[in-house]
Amino acid sequence: MASASAARAVTIWREQYTELMRAAFLVDLQYRASIAIWLLWGITEPVISLGIWWSIAAGGAVDGYTQGAFARYFFGVALVNQATLSWDAWNIDRWIREGEMNYRLTRPIAPIHEAIADNIAYKAPTTTIILVVWIAAAAFWPAVRVPFEPERWMLAVVAIVLAAAIRFLNGYATGLLAFWTTRATALVELQFGLSLFLSGRIAPLSLLPPGVVSVAQYFWFPYVLSFPVEVLTGSVMSTAQYARGFAAQIVWLAIWMALYLLVWKRGRRRYGAVGG
Amino acid sequence: MMDRVRHTAIVMRSFWQLNWLEELQYRGNFFASLLGTLFWLAMAILTVALYFRHTTQLGGWDYWDVVVLLGVFNALAGVVECVLRPGIGHLPTDVRSGALDLVLVRPVDAQFYVSLRRLDVWRLADVVLGLALAGYALVHTGRMPSVVRLLAFGVTFAVAIAVVYSIWVSLMSLSFWFVAVENSSALFDAVFEAARYPVTAYPGALRFLFVYLIPIAWTTTIPASALTGRLQPSLALWAVAVGLAALGASRLLWRVALRRYTSAGG
Repeated sequence: MASASAARAVTIWREQYTELMRAAFLVDLQYRASIAIWLLWGITEPVISLGIWWSIAAGGAVDGYTQGAFARYFFGVALVNQATLSWDAWNIDRWIREGEMNYRLTRPIAPIHEAIADNIAYKAPTTTIILVVWIAAAAFWPAVRVPFEPERWMLAVVAIVLAAAIRFLNGYATGLLAFWTTRATALVELQFGLSLFLSGRIAPLSLLPPGVVSVAQYFWFPYVLSFPVEVLTGSVMSTAQYARGFAAQIVWLAIWMALYLLVWKRGRRRYGAVGG
Repeated sequence: MMDRVRHTAIVMRSFWQLNWLEELQYRGNFFASLLGTLFWLAMAILTVALYFRHTTQLGGWDYWDVVVLLGVFNALAGVVECVLRPGIGHLPTDVRSGALDLVLVRPVDAQFYVSLRRLDVWRLADVVLGLALAGYALVHTGRMPSVVRLLAFGVTFAVAIAVVYSIWVSLMSLSFWFVAVENSSALFDAVFEAARYPVTAYPGALRFLFVYLIPIAWTTTIPASALTGRLQPSLALWAVAVGLAALGASRLLWRVALRRYTSAGG
Protein backbone atom coordinates (compact mmCIF):
# COMPACT_ATOMS: atom_id res chain seq x y z
CA MET A 1 0.00 0.00 0.00
CA ALA A 2 2.69 2.41 1.09
CA SER A 3 4.91 1.43 -1.84
CA ALA A 4 2.00 1.91 -4.26
CA SER A 5 1.42 5.49 -3.11
CA ALA A 6 5.17 6.15 -3.14
CA ALA A 7 5.29 4.91 -6.72
CA ARG A 8 2.40 7.18 -7.57
CA ALA A 9 4.16 10.16 -5.99
CA VAL A 10 7.28 9.42 -8.03
CA THR A 11 5.20 9.26 -11.21
CA ILE A 12 3.60 12.62 -10.43
CA TRP A 13 7.00 14.19 -9.73
CA ARG A 14 8.40 12.80 -12.94
CA GLU A 15 5.45 14.13 -14.95
CA GLN A 16 5.66 17.55 -13.33
CA TYR A 17 9.39 17.82 -13.94
CA THR A 18 9.07 16.63 -17.52
CA GLU A 19 6.50 19.33 -18.21
CA LEU A 20 8.43 22.07 -16.41
CA MET A 21 11.62 21.20 -18.25
CA ARG A 22 9.85 20.95 -21.60
CA ALA A 23 8.32 24.40 -21.07
CA ALA A 24 11.66 25.88 -19.97
CA PHE A 25 13.44 24.35 -22.95
CA LEU A 26 10.87 25.73 -25.40
CA VAL A 27 11.21 29.20 -23.88
CA ASP A 28 15.01 28.96 -24.18
CA LEU A 29 14.64 27.94 -27.80
CA GLN A 30 12.80 31.22 -28.44
CA TYR A 31 15.74 33.13 -27.02
CA ARG A 32 18.53 31.35 -28.88
CA ALA A 33 20.32 34.58 -29.76
CA SER A 34 20.27 35.73 -26.13
CA ILE A 35 21.56 32.37 -24.98
CA ALA A 36 24.42 32.54 -27.46
CA ILE A 37 25.32 35.93 -26.00
CA TRP A 38 25.22 34.68 -22.38
CA LEU A 39 27.35 31.74 -23.42
CA LEU A 40 29.98 34.08 -24.87
CA TRP A 41 29.66 36.28 -21.77
CA GLY A 42 30.40 33.23 -19.62
CA ILE A 43 33.57 32.21 -21.39
CA THR A 44 35.19 35.64 -21.79
CA GLU A 45 36.33 35.77 -18.16
CA PRO A 46 38.28 32.49 -18.29
CA VAL A 47 39.61 33.43 -21.73
CA ILE A 48 40.95 36.76 -20.41
CA SER A 49 42.50 35.10 -17.35
CA LEU A 50 44.05 32.41 -19.52
CA GLY A 51 45.44 35.08 -21.85
CA ILE A 52 47.20 36.90 -19.02
CA TRP A 53 48.53 33.74 -17.31
CA TRP A 54 49.64 32.38 -20.70
CA SER A 55 51.82 35.46 -21.19
CA ILE A 56 53.16 35.28 -17.63
CA ALA A 57 54.02 31.59 -18.05
CA ALA A 58 55.80 32.27 -21.35
CA GLY A 59 59.01 32.75 -19.36
CA GLY A 60 58.65 29.36 -17.62
CA ALA A 61 56.24 27.51 -15.36
CA VAL A 62 54.55 29.53 -12.58
CA ASP A 63 54.63 27.47 -9.36
CA GLY A 64 54.36 24.29 -11.42
CA TYR A 65 51.75 25.66 -13.82
CA THR A 66 52.99 25.57 -17.41
CA GLN A 67 51.13 27.32 -20.23
CA GLY A 68 49.41 24.03 -21.02
CA ALA A 69 48.37 23.51 -17.39
CA PHE A 70 46.81 26.99 -17.35
CA ALA A 71 44.97 26.21 -20.60
CA ARG A 72 43.52 22.98 -19.16
CA TYR A 73 42.59 24.74 -15.92
CA PHE A 74 40.70 27.59 -17.58
CA PHE A 75 38.95 25.32 -20.08
CA GLY A 76 37.81 23.45 -16.98
CA VAL A 77 36.70 26.72 -15.33
CA ALA A 78 34.65 27.65 -18.42
CA LEU A 79 32.94 24.25 -18.43
CA VAL A 80 32.26 23.94 -14.70
CA ASN A 81 31.21 27.58 -14.41
CA GLN A 82 28.64 27.12 -17.16
CA ALA A 83 27.29 24.02 -15.43
CA THR A 84 27.10 25.66 -11.99
CA LEU A 85 26.12 29.29 -12.74
CA SER A 86 23.40 30.75 -10.57
CA TRP A 87 21.19 33.60 -11.72
CA ASP A 88 18.02 32.75 -9.78
CA ALA A 89 18.44 35.56 -7.24
CA TRP A 90 17.65 38.10 -9.98
CA ASN A 91 14.52 36.19 -10.98
CA ILE A 92 13.31 35.94 -7.38
CA ASP A 93 14.01 39.62 -6.88
CA ARG A 94 11.76 40.39 -9.84
CA TRP A 95 9.08 37.87 -8.77
CA ILE A 96 8.82 39.47 -5.36
CA ARG A 97 9.15 43.10 -6.46
CA GLU A 98 6.64 42.89 -9.28
CA GLY A 99 4.21 40.48 -7.67
CA GLU A 100 4.97 37.59 -10.03
CA MET A 101 5.41 35.45 -6.93
CA ASN A 102 1.63 35.44 -6.42
CA TYR A 103 0.57 32.93 -9.01
CA ARG A 104 3.63 30.84 -8.27
CA LEU A 105 2.43 30.50 -4.69
CA THR A 106 -0.97 29.26 -5.81
CA ARG A 107 0.56 26.34 -7.68
CA PRO A 108 0.62 22.93 -6.02
CA ILE A 109 4.40 22.83 -6.46
CA ALA A 110 6.99 25.11 -4.80
CA PRO A 111 8.58 27.71 -7.14
CA ILE A 112 12.02 26.21 -6.52
CA HIS A 113 11.08 23.23 -8.71
CA GLU A 114 10.37 25.55 -11.61
CA ALA A 115 13.82 27.10 -11.04
CA ILE A 116 15.49 23.67 -10.90
CA ALA A 117 13.81 22.64 -14.15
CA ASP A 118 14.88 25.94 -15.75
CA ASN A 119 18.45 25.34 -14.65
CA ILE A 120 18.59 21.82 -16.04
CA ALA A 121 16.92 22.79 -19.32
CA TYR A 122 19.40 25.67 -19.80
CA LYS A 123 22.59 24.14 -18.51
CA ALA A 124 22.43 20.71 -20.12
CA PRO A 125 22.56 22.02 -23.72
CA THR A 126 24.89 24.98 -23.07
CA THR A 127 27.37 22.93 -21.06
CA THR A 128 27.33 20.33 -23.82
CA ILE A 129 28.24 23.06 -26.32
CA ILE A 130 31.29 24.04 -24.26
CA LEU A 131 32.24 20.37 -23.90
CA VAL A 132 32.02 19.87 -27.67
CA VAL A 133 34.14 22.98 -28.27
CA TRP A 134 36.69 21.66 -25.77
CA ILE A 135 36.82 18.24 -27.45
CA ALA A 136 37.20 19.91 -30.87
CA ALA A 137 39.98 22.15 -29.52
CA ALA A 138 41.72 19.13 -27.98
CA ALA A 139 41.87 17.51 -31.42
CA PHE A 140 44.19 20.26 -32.63
CA TRP A 141 45.74 21.53 -29.43
CA PRO A 142 47.38 18.84 -27.28
CA ALA A 143 47.81 21.29 -24.35
CA VAL A 144 44.10 21.16 -23.50
CA ARG A 145 43.85 17.37 -23.44
CA VAL A 146 43.07 16.05 -19.96
CA PRO A 147 44.41 12.63 -18.94
CA PHE A 148 42.35 9.75 -20.39
CA GLU A 149 40.94 8.32 -17.19
CA PRO A 150 37.19 7.60 -17.49
CA GLU A 151 36.88 6.86 -13.71
CA ARG A 152 38.20 10.36 -13.02
CA TRP A 153 35.73 11.82 -15.50
CA MET A 154 32.88 10.04 -13.72
CA LEU A 155 34.02 11.49 -10.39
CA ALA A 156 34.26 14.93 -12.03
CA VAL A 157 30.65 14.63 -13.20
CA VAL A 158 29.56 13.82 -9.64
CA ALA A 159 31.59 16.77 -8.29
CA ILE A 160 30.08 19.11 -10.91
CA VAL A 161 26.51 18.03 -10.12
CA LEU A 162 27.10 18.55 -6.38
CA ALA A 163 28.72 21.92 -7.09
CA ALA A 164 25.77 22.99 -9.23
CA ALA A 165 23.36 22.00 -6.45
CA ILE A 166 25.30 23.95 -3.79
CA ARG A 167 25.64 27.07 -5.93
CA PHE A 168 21.99 26.86 -6.91
CA LEU A 169 20.73 26.60 -3.32
CA ASN A 170 23.19 29.28 -2.23
CA GLY A 171 21.96 31.70 -4.90
CA TYR A 172 18.32 30.79 -4.39
CA ALA A 173 18.39 31.15 -0.61
CA THR A 174 20.27 34.45 -0.81
CA GLY A 175 17.80 35.65 -3.43
CA LEU A 176 14.89 34.82 -1.12
CA LEU A 177 16.21 37.46 1.27
CA ALA A 178 14.33 39.77 -1.11
CA PHE A 179 11.36 39.01 1.14
CA TRP A 180 13.07 41.28 3.68
CA THR A 181 15.34 43.63 1.72
CA THR A 182 15.49 45.24 -1.71
CA ARG A 183 19.23 44.63 -1.91
CA ALA A 184 19.35 40.84 -1.89
CA THR A 185 21.01 40.78 -5.31
CA ALA A 186 23.81 42.98 -3.93
CA LEU A 187 24.61 40.15 -1.49
CA VAL A 188 24.80 37.76 -4.44
CA GLU A 189 27.17 40.16 -6.20
CA LEU A 190 29.31 40.37 -3.08
CA GLN A 191 29.67 36.57 -3.06
CA PHE A 192 30.36 36.66 -6.78
CA GLY A 193 33.19 39.14 -6.21
CA LEU A 194 34.74 37.05 -3.42
CA SER A 195 34.43 33.92 -5.54
CA LEU A 196 36.82 35.48 -8.07
CA PHE A 197 39.58 34.50 -5.66
CA LEU A 198 38.09 31.99 -3.23
CA SER A 199 36.57 29.76 -5.94
CA GLY A 200 39.61 29.90 -8.17
CA ARG A 201 37.98 31.79 -10.99
CA ILE A 202 40.91 34.12 -11.56
CA ALA A 203 43.72 31.66 -10.80
CA PRO A 204 44.22 28.13 -9.50
CA LEU A 205 43.95 28.24 -5.70
CA SER A 206 47.55 27.11 -5.23
CA LEU A 207 48.75 30.39 -6.76
CA LEU A 208 46.93 32.51 -4.15
CA PRO A 209 48.66 33.66 -0.96
CA PRO A 210 48.52 30.77 1.57
CA GLY A 211 46.54 32.93 4.01
CA VAL A 212 43.75 33.41 1.51
CA VAL A 213 43.65 29.70 0.71
CA SER A 214 43.36 28.73 4.37
CA VAL A 215 40.44 31.18 4.79
CA ALA A 216 38.78 29.82 1.62
CA GLN A 217 38.77 26.30 3.10
CA TYR A 218 36.12 27.35 5.61
CA PHE A 219 33.69 28.48 2.90
CA TRP A 220 31.81 26.65 0.17
CA PHE A 221 33.64 28.66 -2.52
CA PRO A 222 36.49 26.22 -3.37
CA TYR A 223 34.10 23.26 -3.57
CA VAL A 224 31.76 24.79 -6.16
CA LEU A 225 34.41 25.49 -8.80
CA SER A 226 38.04 24.83 -7.97
CA PHE A 227 37.51 21.28 -6.68
CA PRO A 228 35.50 19.94 -9.66
CA VAL A 229 37.91 21.61 -12.09
CA GLU A 230 40.93 20.08 -10.39
CA VAL A 231 39.31 16.64 -10.34
CA LEU A 232 38.82 17.01 -14.08
CA THR A 233 42.32 18.29 -14.91
CA GLY A 234 44.04 15.74 -12.71
CA SER A 235 45.35 18.04 -9.96
CA VAL A 236 43.38 16.14 -7.33
CA MET A 237 45.34 12.91 -6.93
CA SER A 238 45.19 11.29 -3.51
CA THR A 239 42.24 9.50 -1.96
CA ALA A 240 42.48 11.90 0.98
CA GLN A 241 42.02 14.89 -1.34
CA TYR A 242 39.00 13.26 -2.98
CA ALA A 243 37.47 12.35 0.38
CA ARG A 244 37.98 15.86 1.75
CA GLY A 245 36.50 17.50 -1.34
CA PHE A 246 33.42 15.31 -1.58
CA ALA A 247 32.82 15.43 2.17
CA ALA A 248 32.97 19.24 2.11
CA GLN A 249 30.58 19.30 -0.85
CA ILE A 250 28.05 17.14 0.97
CA VAL A 251 28.29 19.20 4.16
CA TRP A 252 27.80 22.48 2.28
CA LEU A 253 24.94 21.02 0.30
CA ALA A 254 23.21 20.11 3.56
CA ILE A 255 23.90 23.56 5.05
CA TRP A 256 22.52 25.49 2.08
CA MET A 257 19.55 23.16 1.82
CA ALA A 258 18.72 23.84 5.47
CA LEU A 259 19.18 27.60 4.98
CA TYR A 260 16.92 27.51 1.94
CA LEU A 261 14.18 25.70 3.85
CA LEU A 262 14.47 28.14 6.73
CA VAL A 263 14.37 31.29 4.58
CA TRP A 264 11.56 29.93 2.42
CA LYS A 265 9.39 29.04 5.41
CA ARG A 266 9.90 32.36 7.20
CA GLY A 267 9.84 34.52 4.07
CA ARG A 268 6.59 33.15 2.74
CA ARG A 269 4.89 34.22 5.95
CA ARG A 270 6.23 37.76 5.55
CA TYR A 271 5.17 38.08 1.98
CA GLY A 272 2.42 40.51 1.04
CA ALA A 273 1.65 40.73 -2.64
CA VAL A 274 2.39 43.82 -4.68
CA GLY A 275 -0.19 45.37 -6.96
CA GLY A 276 -3.96 45.50 -6.99
CA MET B 1 23.67 75.18 -38.80
CA MET B 2 24.33 77.40 -35.76
CA ASP B 3 20.60 77.67 -35.37
CA ARG B 4 20.19 73.92 -35.23
CA VAL B 5 22.92 73.57 -32.64
CA ARG B 6 21.33 76.23 -30.44
CA HIS B 7 17.96 74.64 -30.87
CA THR B 8 19.28 71.22 -29.87
CA ALA B 9 21.03 72.74 -26.86
CA ILE B 10 17.79 74.28 -25.60
CA VAL B 11 15.86 71.01 -25.99
CA MET B 12 18.54 68.92 -24.31
CA ARG B 13 18.88 71.36 -21.44
CA SER B 14 15.25 71.00 -20.53
CA PHE B 15 15.56 67.22 -20.67
CA TRP B 16 18.58 67.26 -18.39
CA GLN B 17 16.83 69.52 -15.91
CA LEU B 18 13.99 67.02 -15.65
CA ASN B 19 16.50 64.20 -15.46
CA TRP B 20 18.38 65.88 -12.61
CA LEU B 21 15.20 66.44 -10.60
CA GLU B 22 14.30 62.81 -11.11
CA GLU B 23 17.74 61.59 -10.05
CA LEU B 24 17.64 63.67 -6.88
CA GLN B 25 14.95 61.32 -5.63
CA TYR B 26 17.37 58.43 -5.67
CA ARG B 27 20.14 59.72 -3.44
CA GLY B 28 20.25 56.37 -1.65
CA ASN B 29 21.41 54.84 -4.90
CA PHE B 30 24.45 57.07 -4.81
CA PHE B 31 25.88 55.41 -1.70
CA ALA B 32 24.94 51.94 -2.89
CA SER B 33 26.65 52.47 -6.22
CA LEU B 34 29.67 54.11 -4.56
CA LEU B 35 30.08 51.10 -2.24
CA GLY B 36 29.72 48.79 -5.23
CA THR B 37 32.37 50.67 -7.19
CA LEU B 38 34.81 50.66 -4.27
CA PHE B 39 34.29 46.91 -3.80
CA TRP B 40 34.88 46.05 -7.46
CA LEU B 41 37.84 48.42 -7.62
CA ALA B 42 39.36 46.59 -4.64
CA MET B 43 38.77 43.22 -6.36
CA ALA B 44 40.42 44.54 -9.53
CA ILE B 45 43.49 45.81 -7.67
CA LEU B 46 43.78 42.51 -5.78
CA THR B 47 43.62 40.64 -9.10
CA VAL B 48 46.48 42.73 -10.46
CA ALA B 49 48.38 42.19 -7.21
CA LEU B 50 47.87 38.44 -7.64
CA TYR B 51 49.36 38.51 -11.13
CA PHE B 52 52.32 40.48 -9.82
CA ARG B 53 52.98 37.85 -7.14
CA HIS B 54 54.15 35.72 -10.03
CA THR B 55 55.63 38.23 -12.46
CA THR B 56 57.36 41.60 -12.49
CA GLN B 57 55.63 42.99 -15.56
CA LEU B 58 52.52 42.51 -17.69
CA GLY B 59 53.29 43.18 -21.34
CA GLY B 60 56.07 45.60 -20.37
CA TRP B 61 53.97 47.45 -17.74
CA ASP B 62 54.96 47.34 -14.08
CA TYR B 63 52.48 47.10 -11.19
CA TRP B 64 51.84 50.84 -10.78
CA ASP B 65 51.52 51.34 -14.55
CA VAL B 66 48.77 48.71 -14.58
CA VAL B 67 47.08 50.47 -11.64
CA VAL B 68 47.09 53.70 -13.67
CA LEU B 69 45.45 51.76 -16.49
CA LEU B 70 42.92 50.31 -14.07
CA GLY B 71 42.00 53.87 -13.02
CA VAL B 72 41.48 54.84 -16.66
CA PHE B 73 39.37 51.70 -17.13
CA ASN B 74 37.19 52.61 -14.15
CA ALA B 75 36.72 56.17 -15.39
CA LEU B 76 35.67 54.90 -18.80
CA ALA B 77 33.35 52.33 -17.25
CA GLY B 78 31.82 55.24 -15.32
CA VAL B 79 31.08 57.02 -18.61
CA VAL B 80 29.41 53.84 -19.86
CA GLU B 81 27.24 53.54 -16.74
CA CYS B 82 26.44 57.24 -16.60
CA VAL B 83 25.59 57.93 -20.23
CA LEU B 84 25.60 54.90 -22.52
CA ARG B 85 23.69 52.26 -20.58
CA PRO B 86 20.73 54.46 -19.57
CA GLY B 87 20.65 56.16 -23.00
CA ILE B 88 21.54 54.16 -26.07
CA GLY B 89 21.49 50.94 -24.02
CA HIS B 90 17.73 51.34 -23.79
CA LEU B 91 17.31 51.28 -27.57
CA PRO B 92 16.48 47.56 -28.02
CA THR B 93 13.56 47.91 -25.58
CA ASP B 94 12.31 50.99 -27.44
CA VAL B 95 12.54 49.22 -30.78
CA ARG B 96 10.68 46.18 -29.49
CA SER B 97 7.91 48.16 -27.83
CA GLY B 98 7.57 50.81 -30.50
CA ALA B 99 8.47 53.56 -28.01
CA LEU B 100 11.06 54.76 -30.53
CA ASP B 101 8.17 56.51 -32.33
CA LEU B 102 8.14 59.07 -29.53
CA VAL B 103 11.84 59.67 -30.09
CA LEU B 104 11.59 60.05 -33.85
CA VAL B 105 8.90 62.74 -33.69
CA ARG B 106 11.04 64.94 -31.46
CA PRO B 107 12.60 67.99 -33.10
CA VAL B 108 16.21 66.87 -32.48
CA ASP B 109 18.56 64.45 -34.20
CA ALA B 110 17.40 60.97 -33.14
CA GLN B 111 20.87 59.50 -32.54
CA PHE B 112 21.92 62.52 -30.53
CA TYR B 113 18.78 62.43 -28.43
CA VAL B 114 18.79 58.67 -27.86
CA SER B 115 22.43 58.83 -26.78
CA LEU B 116 22.11 61.66 -24.28
CA ARG B 117 18.50 61.50 -23.13
CA ARG B 118 19.17 60.12 -19.67
CA LEU B 119 22.19 60.57 -17.46
CA ASP B 120 22.70 58.33 -14.47
CA VAL B 121 24.52 61.21 -12.78
CA TRP B 122 25.54 59.36 -9.61
CA ARG B 123 27.80 57.14 -11.66
CA LEU B 124 29.96 60.15 -12.42
CA ALA B 125 31.50 59.21 -9.07
CA ASP B 126 33.07 56.23 -10.88
CA VAL B 127 34.77 58.60 -13.31
CA VAL B 128 36.14 60.69 -10.43
CA LEU B 129 37.27 57.59 -8.48
CA GLY B 130 38.97 56.15 -11.54
CA LEU B 131 40.87 59.32 -12.35
CA ALA B 132 41.78 59.69 -8.67
CA LEU B 133 43.22 56.16 -8.64
CA ALA B 134 45.25 56.86 -11.77
CA GLY B 135 46.45 60.13 -10.24
CA TYR B 136 47.38 58.43 -6.97
CA ALA B 137 49.38 55.74 -8.77
CA LEU B 138 51.29 58.39 -10.73
CA VAL B 139 52.04 60.54 -7.69
CA HIS B 140 52.95 57.49 -5.60
CA THR B 141 55.65 56.52 -8.07
CA GLY B 142 56.78 60.15 -8.37
CA ARG B 143 55.95 60.45 -12.05
CA MET B 144 53.88 63.58 -12.28
CA PRO B 145 52.83 63.80 -15.92
CA SER B 146 53.84 66.94 -17.80
CA VAL B 147 51.31 69.31 -19.36
CA VAL B 148 51.94 67.75 -22.76
CA ARG B 149 51.21 64.29 -21.37
CA LEU B 150 48.04 65.49 -19.68
CA LEU B 151 46.98 67.07 -22.94
CA ALA B 152 47.71 63.83 -24.81
CA PHE B 153 45.69 62.00 -22.16
CA GLY B 154 42.75 64.37 -22.64
CA VAL B 155 42.74 63.80 -26.39
CA THR B 156 43.19 60.03 -26.24
CA PHE B 157 40.59 59.69 -23.47
CA ALA B 158 38.12 61.55 -25.69
CA VAL B 159 39.04 59.10 -28.46
CA ALA B 160 38.41 56.24 -26.05
CA ILE B 161 34.94 57.57 -25.27
CA ALA B 162 34.27 57.90 -29.02
CA VAL B 163 35.35 54.30 -29.65
CA VAL B 164 33.30 52.87 -26.77
CA TYR B 165 30.32 54.96 -27.85
CA SER B 166 30.64 53.69 -31.42
CA ILE B 167 30.75 50.09 -30.24
CA TRP B 168 27.53 50.67 -28.28
CA VAL B 169 25.78 52.39 -31.19
CA SER B 170 26.75 49.50 -33.48
CA LEU B 171 25.70 46.79 -31.01
CA MET B 172 22.41 48.50 -30.25
CA SER B 173 21.66 49.18 -33.92
CA LEU B 174 21.67 45.42 -34.41
CA SER B 175 18.41 45.35 -32.47
CA PHE B 176 16.66 46.74 -35.56
CA TRP B 177 17.45 43.43 -37.25
CA PHE B 178 17.40 41.01 -34.34
CA VAL B 179 14.60 42.03 -32.02
CA ALA B 180 15.41 39.22 -29.60
CA VAL B 181 18.86 40.59 -28.80
CA GLU B 182 17.99 42.52 -25.67
CA ASN B 183 21.09 41.61 -23.76
CA SER B 184 23.70 42.67 -26.31
CA SER B 185 25.05 45.05 -23.68
CA ALA B 186 26.10 41.96 -21.73
CA LEU B 187 28.34 41.10 -24.65
CA PHE B 188 30.02 44.48 -24.38
CA ASP B 189 30.43 44.11 -20.62
CA ALA B 190 32.17 40.78 -21.02
CA VAL B 191 34.57 41.81 -23.76
CA PHE B 192 35.28 45.22 -22.23
CA GLU B 193 36.65 43.40 -19.17
CA ALA B 194 39.66 42.61 -21.33
CA ALA B 195 40.51 46.32 -21.37
CA ARG B 196 41.52 46.08 -17.69
CA TYR B 197 45.00 45.06 -18.78
CA PRO B 198 47.42 46.54 -21.30
CA VAL B 199 46.83 45.00 -24.69
CA THR B 200 50.50 43.98 -24.85
CA ALA B 201 49.83 41.57 -21.96
CA TYR B 202 47.81 39.26 -24.22
CA PRO B 203 49.13 36.54 -26.52
CA GLY B 204 49.25 37.38 -30.25
CA ALA B 205 45.83 36.12 -31.34
CA LEU B 206 43.93 37.94 -28.60
CA ARG B 207 46.02 41.07 -29.16
CA PHE B 208 45.09 41.07 -32.84
CA LEU B 209 41.44 40.66 -31.90
CA PHE B 210 41.50 43.59 -29.46
CA VAL B 211 43.42 45.95 -31.73
CA TYR B 212 41.70 45.36 -35.07
CA LEU B 213 38.43 43.47 -34.71
CA ILE B 214 36.97 44.63 -31.39
CA PRO B 215 39.00 47.83 -30.96
CA ILE B 216 39.04 47.93 -27.15
CA ALA B 217 42.84 48.26 -27.18
CA TRP B 218 42.29 51.89 -28.15
CA THR B 219 40.11 52.55 -25.13
CA THR B 220 42.36 52.09 -22.10
CA THR B 221 45.85 51.13 -23.22
CA ILE B 222 46.36 54.31 -25.25
CA PRO B 223 45.19 56.93 -22.70
CA ALA B 224 47.08 55.09 -19.93
CA SER B 225 50.16 55.07 -22.18
CA ALA B 226 49.81 58.84 -22.47
CA LEU B 227 49.81 59.17 -18.68
CA THR B 228 52.73 56.82 -18.12
CA GLY B 229 54.74 58.44 -20.91
CA ARG B 230 55.02 55.54 -23.32
CA LEU B 231 52.78 56.98 -26.03
CA GLN B 232 54.47 57.86 -29.31
CA PRO B 233 53.06 60.95 -31.02
CA SER B 234 52.39 58.98 -34.21
CA LEU B 235 50.25 56.51 -32.26
CA ALA B 236 48.26 59.40 -30.77
CA LEU B 237 47.48 60.59 -34.29
CA TRP B 238 46.45 57.06 -35.24
CA ALA B 239 44.18 56.98 -32.23
CA VAL B 240 42.44 60.16 -33.33
CA ALA B 241 41.96 58.65 -36.79
CA VAL B 242 40.55 55.43 -35.28
CA GLY B 243 38.15 57.44 -33.12
CA LEU B 244 36.86 59.46 -36.05
CA ALA B 245 36.55 56.37 -38.25
CA ALA B 246 34.62 54.56 -35.52
CA LEU B 247 32.22 57.47 -35.07
CA GLY B 248 31.68 57.71 -38.84
CA ALA B 249 31.10 53.99 -39.28
CA SER B 250 28.66 53.79 -36.38
CA ARG B 251 26.73 56.81 -37.68
CA LEU B 252 26.43 55.07 -41.04
CA LEU B 253 25.22 51.85 -39.45
CA TRP B 254 22.71 53.79 -37.34
CA ARG B 255 21.22 55.43 -40.44
CA VAL B 256 20.95 52.17 -42.35
CA ALA B 257 19.38 50.54 -39.29
CA LEU B 258 16.90 53.34 -38.71
CA ARG B 259 15.60 52.95 -42.24
CA ARG B 260 14.49 49.43 -41.29
CA TYR B 261 12.38 50.68 -38.43
CA THR B 262 8.65 50.31 -39.05
CA SER B 263 7.35 50.74 -35.50
CA ALA B 264 5.59 48.04 -33.51
CA GLY B 265 2.13 47.35 -32.25
CA GLY B 266 -1.05 49.00 -33.33
